Parts: sequence; C-alpha cells; structure tokens
Amino acid sequence: MGSIVLVVRLVLADVRRHKVQAAMLLLAVTVATATMALGLSLRGVSDALYEQTRAATAGPDVVALSGDTGPAVTSALASLANEPEVIAHHGPYRIVYADLTTRDSTSSPVVVQGFGETPGAVNRPLLTSGQWVRSGGTVLERGFATALGVGVGDRVTIAGRSYPVVGIAVTAATSIYPWAAQIGPGGGPGDYSGLAWMTRSDARALASSQDLPVALALDVKLRDPATAQAFLDAHRVSTLRVNFHTWQFTAEQDMVILRDTQPILVVGSWLLSFLAITGVAALAAGRAVEQTRRAGLLKAVGATPGLIATVLLTEYLALALVGDALGLVIARLTVPAIASPTASRIGDAVGLTGATVAAATVLAVAVAVLSTLRPTLRAMRTATVTALTATAHQPRHRPWLTALSALLPTPLLLGLRLTARRPGRAVLQACSTATTVIAIVALLTLYAQPERGYGLDGSSALPNLRGEHDRRLMLAVTILLISLAVVNTITLTWTTAMEARANTAIARTLGATPGQIAAGLSTAQLLPSLPGAIIGVPLGIGLLSLFAARNATEPPSSWMLGAALATLLATAALTALPARLAARRPVAQTLSAETA
Amino acid sequence: MQDAVLAMLAKEPSHGYHLHARLRHSLGPLGESMNRGQIYVTLARLERAGLVVCERADGLPERPERKVYALTPAGQERVAAWLAEVGWPKPDLAEFYLKLAAAAAARLADPVELVAAQRRELLRRLREAQQAALAEPAGSGAGLLLEGVALRLQADLRWLEACERAWSKVDDEVEGG
Amino acid sequence: MNVSSAAVRACGLVKTHGQGQSGVRAVDEVDLEVPQGQMLAVMGPSGCGKSTLLHLLGGLERPTGGEVWVAGRRIDTLSERALARLRRRSVGFIFQAFHLVEELSAAENVELPALLAGRSRREARRRASLLLERVGLADRARHLPSQLSGGQRQRVALARALVNDPLVVLADEPTGNLDTAATFDVLRIFEELRSAGQTFVIVTHDERVAATADRLVSMRDGMFVDDTRLAGSHTRGLGGLIGLEG
Repeated sequence: MGSIVLVVRLVLADVRRHKVQAAMLLLAVTVATATMALGLSLRGVSDALYEQTRAATAGPDVVALSGDTGPAVTSALASLANEPEVIAHHGPYRIVYADLTTRDSTSSPVVVQGFGETPGAVNRPLLTSGQWVRSGGTVLERGFATALGVGVGDRVTIAGRSYPVVGIAVTAATSIYPWAAQIGPGGGPGDYSGLAWMTRSDARALASSQDLPVALALDVKLRDPATAQAFLDAHRVSTLRVNFHTWQFTAEQDMVILRDTQPILVVGSWLLSFLAITGVAALAAGRAVEQTRRAGLLKAVGATPGLIATVLLTEYLALALVGDALGLVIARLTVPAIASPTASRIGDAVGLTGATVAAATVLAVAVAVLSTLRPTLRAMRTATVTALTATAHQPRHRPWLTALSALLPTPLLLGLRLTARRPGRAVLQACSTATTVIAIVALLTLYAQPERGYGLDGSSALPNLRGEHDRRLMLAVTILLISLAVVNTITLTWTTAMEARANTAIARTLGATPGQIAAGLSTAQLLPSLPGAIIGVPLGIGLLSLFAARNATEPPSSWMLGAALATLLATAALTALPARLAARRPVAQTLSAETA
Repeated sequence: MQDAVLAMLAKEPSHGYHLHARLRHSLGPLGESMNRGQIYVTLARLERAGLVVCERADGLPERPERKVYALTPAGQERVAAWLAEVGWPKPDLAEFYLKLAAAAAARLADPVELVAAQRRELLRRLREAQQAALAEPAGSGAGLLLEGVALRLQADLRWLEACERAWSKVDDEVEGG
Repeated sequence: MNVSSAAVRACGLVKTHGQGQSGVRAVDEVDLEVPQGQMLAVMGPSGCGKSTLLHLLGGLERPTGGEVWVAGRRIDTLSERALARLRRRSVGFIFQAFHLVEELSAAENVELPALLAGRSRREARRRASLLLERVGLADRARHLPSQLSGGQRQRVALARALVNDPLVVLADEPTGNLDTAATFDVLRIFEELRSAGQTFVIVTHDERVAATADRLVSMRDGMFVDDTRLAGSHTRGLGGLIGLEG
C-alpha cells in the first residue's frame, strides 16, 4: 500500500513540475488516438447508419433492376414477387434517366423513380421535410438536395420541365449520393446521379415526352434478409438482363466514398503517434539527467529498481491513458460527420466498438512505453552514486569529426559538434522532418488528382464530395502532424541549447559571438533535417502507392522539391527563436551556475 | 644550530670548513647568508661543553682549517636525544595579539590598521619565499624547506584575516552602539 | 602613468544585482588601472564582488555604471559581437571549474580560440603544441579532459587562455579546485609568465597565488580597501625567513 502512495505522490509531483511536458504528451496521445479511433470506426458507423436508414424506410432486401423494358421484363420481375421466400414487394416501378437543373443553373444527372402516392410495404422513403410526391411535384433525395442546396418550396427543372420540390426524403434502397443510379441506361454503367421521386404518372409522362431512357426495378422483402445472396443466385435470369442489388451490396457501396478516408486516418494516426513518440522522447531525453539523479536518490533511500521503473512508467502511462480517453471521446463526437460526408443517411452513430477502443489504447500505451523506455532502463541500471553525481553523459571522442570541422566556418563547426554529441537526437529530428514531408507529399498528391465533378458531364459545379472529404481530412491530419513537428523542432532546439549551454558559454568567453552560437544551434537541427526532408519525399510517394488507385497521378516534382525546401526553411526559421534566446543568455550567469 | 652541527659530525669527524660546506649545500639559497665564522663559534661552544673534541693534525702549523672535530660519547648521547625529541617551535602569536589588544584599549593605534600593515609584511615575505621556491628545481631539499616556510606564512596570513574580521566587528559594534 | 600603457582600466565601475532599493551593489565605484606587464591579484572574502569585477573587465557582464577600457578601447559600450572579437584577441579567461569542452581533447581545447580567431588549422596546431609543451603537458595532448587530473586540466585551460597571445589573462580562482602540489605547478607557470611580462588579473582567496602577484588589492563589499605593491621590496635575505640570522 505504502509503495502505491509513494508512486502516486512521486508521479503527481513530477507532473506538477513539468506541466508543459505533461500537456504535450497528453495532447499528442489525444490527437493520435482520436485519429486512429476515427479511422477504425468508419466502417462500423457507415454500416450502422445504413442499418438505421434501412429500418426507418423499410429498405428492400433485394432490388432487381433491368435496363430493358417491355412485357417480358415486367413479367419476369412480377414472377420474382411471387417467389415463396418473398414476403413483400414494391414495384415494378420506372426509373427515368434525366438531368436536373436548379434555379441557379447547377445541373446534374438524376434518376427519377415513379412511386405511388401512398407508400407501399417495402421501400418507403422517409420524409425528413415536406410532403410525399403528388401530381406535378417532386421529392428529392436528401444527399442530392443538400449537394444542390435545394429545399422544399424551391423549383427544379427536370428534363426541361419545371417541378416544385415538395419534400426531401431518404431511402435505403439505393446507395448514398451520388451513386443513386445503381445501373445506367440500358443496363450500362451509371453516371454520378442524384435521386428524385415523382408520381408514377408523372414519371411515365416525363419519360415519354422526351423519349428518355428508362429502367425497371422491383424491391422485395425476403423472409430471411440474410439469404439475399442465395435468392439472387437462385433467380439469375440468363435470358433477360436483370441486375440484383442485395442490401449488403448497397451498404458496401456506401463505403466507396470512404475508401481513401480510412487509410488517411489510420496511416495518419501512425504518423501522429510516431511524432508523439519522437517529441516525448526528445523531452524525456532532455530530462534524462534529472530522471537518473532522481532514480539514484530513490535508490539511495532504499527503493527497488522495480519501484523506480514503476514511477517513471506510471507517469507516462497515466498521461497516455488520459489522452487515450480524451481521444476516444473526441472520435465518438466527430465520427458521424466524418463517416457520413453526404446527407443520404439518417440515424445516430453507434458507440465505438471494443476493438477500436482496444486498438487506440494499445497505441497510447505503446507511445508511453516507447518514449520512456530508454530513460527508464538507464535510470534503473545506473549505480546509485554515479546517478547522484550525474551530469551530462560522458562524451565520446570523434577525431574524424574534429578534423572535418576544423575546415568549416564557426557556426557550422558548432552545429556539427552539437549534432555529433547527441546522435539519437539528430535521428529524432530527421524522423520528425521526414514524417512532415511524407504528410505534405500525401496532401500534394491528393490535390494533384484529376477528378470528375458530380455535375452534368463531370462538371465541378457540383463538387466531388469524396475528393473534397479526403482532402479536407488529409489537410487536418497534415496540420496536426505539422503542429507536432513544430513543437518537436522547438523542443529539440531548446533541449540542445540547454544541454550545450556550458560549452556555448565557454565558446563565448573564447570569443564566439552570440550570432555564431545561434547559427550553430540552428545548424545542429538543420543538419539532420536535411536527410529527413530528402528521404521524406520517396517515403511519402512509396507510402501512398500502397493505398492509392493504380492510375493515381503523381504531383509534379517541382511541388515535391518545393515542399522539401519549404520544410527546411521552416525548420531554420523555427530554430532561430529558441537558438537566439539561448545564445543571448548571460555568460557569467551560466558559468557560475555550472560551477555551483 | 648546535644540534644540527653535532648531528653532522655523527657520521664522521670533519673539518670546520667541510661542515660549513655541507650545511650550505643542504640549505641551498637559504644558506647563503650563513658565514663560516658562525660555524667556528658554534664548534667552540660545543668543545667547551665537552660534546666535541678537537684533534689537530700532527706536524702542521696551528691553523683553524687544519682542526678536525669529532663527537665525544656525551656528544653522541646528545645527538641521540635530539633525534628522539618531538619538541616543535611554538608559534609566537601572543605578542602580536597583545599588541592589538593594547593598541585598542589605549587607543594608541587602530588594530585593523596594524593587522593590515602586518599582512603586507607577511605577504612580501611569502612572495619572497615563494619566488625562491619556484626557482628551485622540483625535488630539491631547499625547495621543500621553502615550501614549509610558505605554508607557515600562509597559515599566519589566514590568522591575520581572522584578526581583521574580529577587530572590524569590534569597530562596527562601537560605531553602531 | 599614461592611459595608453594600461592594459586594463576601470573608472567608477558599478555593478548592481537586482532592482531599485533591494539591489545589491556587487561592485561599488571601483577605479582600477592595470599597467601592461603587471600581475594584479584581487583578494577578498566570497561575495565581496571580486568575480563580478573580473567578469566586468572581460566584458562577460555589463556594468551598471562607469567605464571599462581594455587595450585602450572602451568596452562597456561595445556590442556583443564586438566584445566577442575583443575577447578572441585581447583577453584570456581561466576559471576555477576549468570549463574545458569535455568532448574535445586537450590539444583541441587549446586550438579552439585560435580557430575562432581565424587562424589556420596548422597555425592553431602549432601554437597549441607549443603551449602544451610550455605547461608541461605535451604528452597529454590527445587526452580528453576527463582523463586528466585537476591540475592538468587547469594547465590546459591556461594554455587555451594564452593561445592568442592575449593582452591580459583574467583568472577567477585558478587554484580553487586544486591541491597543494597542483597549485604549485600552476604557480610556477604563472611566475614564468609574469617574468615574461604577461599581464594578469587574478581573483583569488589563496594567499600563495596572491603572493605571486606584483600588486595586491583587497576587496570588501564591492570596494577596494587596500592596495599593496609586493614587487621590488626585498626586505632581508632568504636566510631570515628561516631564522638562520641573528
């Protein structure tokens, strides 16, 4: 019991003393776990939303569609409705391929479904506002209406005829906007289309007036929805071109819009965790001497190595777990917006699954353990007396470096020495830079992709929601990554400056100017950043090629080069401030502090 | 001085001038001021006390340089006693301390000033001793002796510092009260 | 004594630590002139302001009031950069804690100021080996400070302070961390340099170091209370020191 009290007391005291570090760990873990939890929750949420929409709209288990019309098709579809597994059906009904123009001239392909004025037993679209179709009035699918910016009471022109929008509704019979078409005219591939409903007679009139392509569809409800695939296999009609869409297929189709979202978030969370580890490790390394001394002190008063390890790890674990919890809450609150970029589905996002929570927690624990492993092991191993008198660690002598640096100007010489003094830290800085460049390359690649808008003939008057969603998320992830990298760079510069303050003070008594010292400190960060930035470009391209479509376009190499250069310039600018502050510290004060 | 001369004769009988040379050699630059007369005066005293005997070399004119001195048994005993003795010169600080006390009591002089003057004097001596010591090659006997001198002067200077602190405090109290 | 022959000069020098009424005057209206070739020792109890004085003379701290002149130039108004240049060429520092760069070998430590002052690698190396020879550490040139004794480290620091032939060497308790034997080694080098005409300002509380100097000032509470010339006043023969006379 006593030792638990001791551990808690020591942990609290340390957190109080190092608020900034604690806050940084907390923040980094929160961001990383939130991103990961979001990435892992997408499918579950998408499925849940589909499921809820399906329940609310009596969604069909199977939709049979045919691009052909005529008595043969009608009877084939009608005979399906008589199958013993079928307990209810709706249709056959017309699907008319047309185009729709709003009052502000935004045009989009649309499929018009001819429905009864009173809803049937299956596929009863749920009105979210307004009323159901009546003669001369149309109801728009909500995802479509939202993309168009159209509401109840507005007028839209469909195939040249003007209709008032009398209602907005959602359905589970089709995939989310813009995949409402399911099949194209004549059974061919469908274009990005919105969905509108009219009365059966209005739909027929629309089709015949302009001789528009038409398809027929039948919604059926099965005794056992789980047998949808078996039903489909048993009733494939070889002579007629009939497409069957099971409800599972439609649900899967909903995920298409999120296909790239998931890797962005999951890989993004790995990169964020990686930066969190480097950042926290940099801070922990800066405090290694102090930690070692504290461990020595604890040993001197009789604490076991196990207790010391417990104290060090408990602190980081506790913070990481709090961050984990915060991250999960954030993920839970933001997941509906991210998992459902269109307005085509209704319902509440379900809670995070146990697997997601577990994965995020594993990530948080890994960040805590990995970033404290080295100082913990060192503090445990060091002998008590050595630890109590610990100062900076014993430097190694590197004659080649000395020989090289003699040829260089003073700031570069100082920078090189500082870099060589802490190779581990140089690696951290390089990794941090590489990660930033990877994120920027990914962002640039996303922006470089050509894409088809959702408007008529691929017009971007209706933007490609999927691309926009991905870019927005990638931008958010990149901004988070860059923020962490910025904090890392500043932390590393400051830590280096503080550890080198004795030597830089000596250099100043020997005649080095503050400018030279500041430039040296900046150089110490820039040198490892250089390989980091160079390696980040191919790494970013490589990482993307694992997830991107085969025909993905690479951004121009001038963009990549620019990104790497900009990262280096930003690093230089970021290091300038802490370096200048450190270089301006009064020499006499530093030297007396070192003597004391 | 007497004991040192006696001890030097313990090894073998010696001429007076030879003794002088040996003493000067071991004292190095410190022995420069020692003249041969001092040795003969000392030897004469020792002879009168029956601690040494003087043998004249036969058939030669009676000149002091020709005298060879040797220890008597009493002299040998005296040397043994000297070696066993653990006496040590006492630092004579009481006199200076009383000087300060008297000066303060009778308001004859400012004790702090007296301390400062004494300090200057000791510092000059220390400088002299130190320069002589630094001029000696490492490991020389004279260097060792000078090191001792310097260290004692250093100790005296530290004591003077303590005196200064003490008397400054007395001053402060007088002024303050 | 005219101004130009003074290596270091201070007029009405004041340094206050802290603000306003509660400020402590570490150096209080000090006037000082150190002619070229003089070895000056400053003694006083700890906290009397002697280290601060040394920092002011070397431009490591800026005075609250008064002037500091080094090599005929007023330095308290110089920029940090100009001060750094001045230190390279005109001032050598020695500290109680040695302050060697731990990851550089003895020779590299000595070369450091020479390289900073823009000397060629070869010239820096030549000077360093010469000076290490002079302080008796030629065989320790490749050792790291951690492999050297305290006395050896201070001798390396001394060589480093001298590598640019500074006008003045400022030493802050140079023997404070040394035992008697090591002190003696350092004093021997000081004495050699003194006779060669090197200007020194040494802050110390070791009487033996002070006694090496030509002149000794005592400091109390930021002020000079005594100024003694030690040089050229042989009072008696050396024999008098051990009571061989009289």
